[in-house]
Amino acid sequence: MRTDASVHAVPIPEGLLEPALTVGKVTPGSLDDQVLAFPETKPPKQWYLALAVTLTALGIGLACIGYTFTTGIGAWGNSSPVFWAFDIINFVFWVGIGHAGTLISAILFLFRKRWRNAIARFAEAMTIFAVMCAVIFPLIHVGRPWLAYWLFPYPNERALWTNFRSPLLWDVFAVNTYFSVSLMFWYLGLIPDIASMRDRTTSKLRKTIYTVLALGWRGAASHWQHYEKAYLLLAGLATGLVLSVHSVVSFDFATSVVPGWHMTIFPPYFVAGAIFAGFSMVVIVLVVVRETMQLKNLITMRHLDVMNKVILAMSCIMGYSYMMEGFTAWYSMNEYLHHGFMNIITGTYGWAGWITISCNIFIPQLLWFKKCRSSYFWMILVAIGVTIGMWFERFVIIVISLHQDYLPSAWRIYKPTMVDFGILLGTFGLFFTLVLIFARVLPVIATTEVKAILPDAQPSHGGSHE
Amino acid sequence: MSDKKAYAVLGLFETPDALMHAIPKLRAAKLGTVEAYTPYPIHGIDEALGLRRSPLGGMVLVMGVLGALTAFGFQYWISAIDYPIITGGKSAASWEAFIPIMFEVTVLFATFTAGLGMLLLLNRLPFFGHPVLSAKAMKGITRDRYALALEAESEAFDSAAAAQALEAAGAVDIEVLPAPDRSPFLTSDYILRTLGGIFVACLVAGLGIFSLIKWFPLLAPMKYMQDQPRLNAQKASTFFKDGHGMQPPVPGTVARGYLPTATGTQDASANLVNPLPRTKDVFAQGRKVYTNRCEVCHGALANGAGSLTAAYGAKPANLQAQQFRDYPDGKIYWAVVNGKNAMPAHAAYLTEPQRWAVVHYVRALQRAQNATDEDLKVVAP
Repeated sequence: MRTDASVHAVPIPEGLLEPALTVGKVTPGSLDDQVLAFPETKPPKQWYLALAVTLTALGIGLACIGYTFTTGIGAWGNSSPVFWAFDIINFVFWVGIGHAGTLISAILFLFRKRWRNAIARFAEAMTIFAVMCAVIFPLIHVGRPWLAYWLFPYPNERALWTNFRSPLLWDVFAVNTYFSVSLMFWYLGLIPDIASMRDRTTSKLRKTIYTVLALGWRGAASHWQHYEKAYLLLAGLATGLVLSVHSVVSFDFATSVVPGWHMTIFPPYFVAGAIFAGFSMVVIVLVVVRETMQLKNLITMRHLDVMNKVILAMSCIMGYSYMMEGFTAWYSMNEYLHHGFMNIITGTYGWAGWITISCNIFIPQLLWFKKCRSSYFWMILVAIGVTIGMWFERFVIIVISLHQDYLPSAWRIYKPTMVDFGILLGTFGLFFTLVLIFARVLPVIATTEVKAILPDAQPSHGGSHE
Repeated sequence: MSDKKAYAVLGLFETPDALMHAIPKLRAAKLGTVEAYTPYPIHGIDEALGLRRSPLGGMVLVMGVLGALTAFGFQYWISAIDYPIITGGKSAASWEAFIPIMFEVTVLFATFTAGLGMLLLLNRLPFFGHPVLSAKAMKGITRDRYALALEAESEAFDSAAAAQALEAAGAVDIEVLPAPDRSPFLTSDYILRTLGGIFVACLVAGLGIFSLIKWFPLLAPMKYMQDQPRLNAQKASTFFKDGHGMQPPVPGTVARGYLPTATGTQDASANLVNPLPRTKDVFAQGRKVYTNRCEVCHGALANGAGSLTAAYGAKPANLQAQQFRDYPDGKIYWAVVNGKNAMPAHAAYLTEPQRWAVVHYVRALQRAQNATDEDLKVVAP
């Protein structure tokens, strides 16, 4: 979008101009001093404190996984007919969290939403960490994780091949592709920033590490040309992934015949839910980062405002999806579907159903008010609510649908054990440990990308690429 | 300045506008290849420098299509030819289910082409020896300065003229970059040192791995059920002295529910007392045992007229006879357990409570056949 009023015969009214992306005077140099100098400063006491907390959580998780391995999967609450319980809930939950990063870095890039530049790096990092948390669960759920490579189709001495008609195998490909693409996208974005850090650091060790990581990047115009092209292509490819990964995850459910899973609305419904949960997690982390790392001039209230609007929009899509589930149950005149839906609102696990509906549909409606979108208290309240709500949504989908299906003699109430909760806690520990370390060693804002959109960053003639 | 070979002359500019204005002037001067070094991509600089369009899009398209075809061929060969499994009643060659993986592999191929193709093929990175990397101006270039370089195209490159042209175009800081040292580094000394280093590294790594394996034998992460301690068939036990894996019970062993039976003579058992109370349940159980085990010989009324007596010519005891009515409970119990005359022992079939329950029932039958007026009195319920 051109914001230069001089080329138009009629000046653009003030309200239609894109508001400034940063607060106060920001120059390329001051940006570097602010963002790139951060990893070279000594971490404050609070950082160590936070790290201790997250490492404790991670330790509990590892202990619970170790206990599971030495005792057996019986340490968990999974039992017939609820064979998919916490592991698949947590897997879907974490993969979903990752989607915000890809959406921000890819789709908003293609739409030329320039405000994304300041938050893209952090969101992408969160994508990678969330996918790392997610893959733990299928790995330990297979029971013998050291044989997990059997999931891949490779020629083997047993002369067996994987079944390509199984959505679980599609999932293996989808998640691995997602992780590889996200990592590639993130690292390509980091290269010019690491080159900046390489050239400004005085520490010998850091210089060596950054030199290797920057791959000898020198900012040549001929390089930038290919780099920008690659970035654009990756954004286009990752856009397909945002829509496909959670669709494939939803196929795990939708292609089965379990009442409550066998629905065509699942793919779009899962994708919207993933973006919903992911944006909430990004809001939570961004607020903390903005406050503790003094980045208020770069991550502005406008960013949070826009993020909250996305959350609100996704909440409305979720509300529609929930209503469609009810409508499908009623309109299908299928007693099993009907029973499954009534289980969500009045069954043994009805409380979980109502937590889901309240946290995902009712509480986010607060974001219609500008006051709530610009107040930390309310936006964090909504974001935490959505995180809890989206976890429970997966609980509802998996546990409620499985615990009562076609065969009443097989019905059983599922109860998670402390080990289940311990492993969930452990992944939160892993996620925030990685976030904390990332914030200390790498630039949390894509300085190169922000530099390119600062005022006067582009030549004032001929540059109509926007 | 010109006595030493120069790779390029670098001029720094303060603003992107100054950079863009200088490019056409320097290109017109034809002193060398013009290259720009900037902290971020500058719009319009490709056209100004006359760079050709990046071929990356075409490369990614080709590799993406190749990815789709690879995934399709792989899945088709496995699912329809090498290892056909019928799933959901579909033909082994039904291709619709291959689409998700075809999509993922397309994206994977395309992504690696875009990322690695850009870095390795088009930009020739990683490369740590470029002269610009060791320029003093590099600090500014990755921060907030914009540089133009006139790079030598031939031996005739005049660095002084290039510096002058840059200054005239508005560069604020000029730097001559010396040509990289191209003297051969593969000297015999270098090769010997490299080989020696590799040898020492291999030695250290080998010894380290050897001692690790020696001191820490491979530990299985999880015990399988088949790995429990047990005695295989046809193998001698090292645990028991006689080499048998299965041992007979220790003398005097009593199985649960089968307490010691009455031993000795019938007379010695006369003093045994029936431990069971006379309740409806006990009588019911006694009746069941009697019906199953006793009735065929002794008869439903315990008068010795069972259905088998005629067939086999046996003479089972008439339990209604005075002799047996006078028997204490213990003697009947002894007969049940050990058998008597032609009657077999029932110890193996009946648990201790069942034996005593049937004794109670026999007593009930005896009393029923010899009832007095007293017996008709209704006892309080």
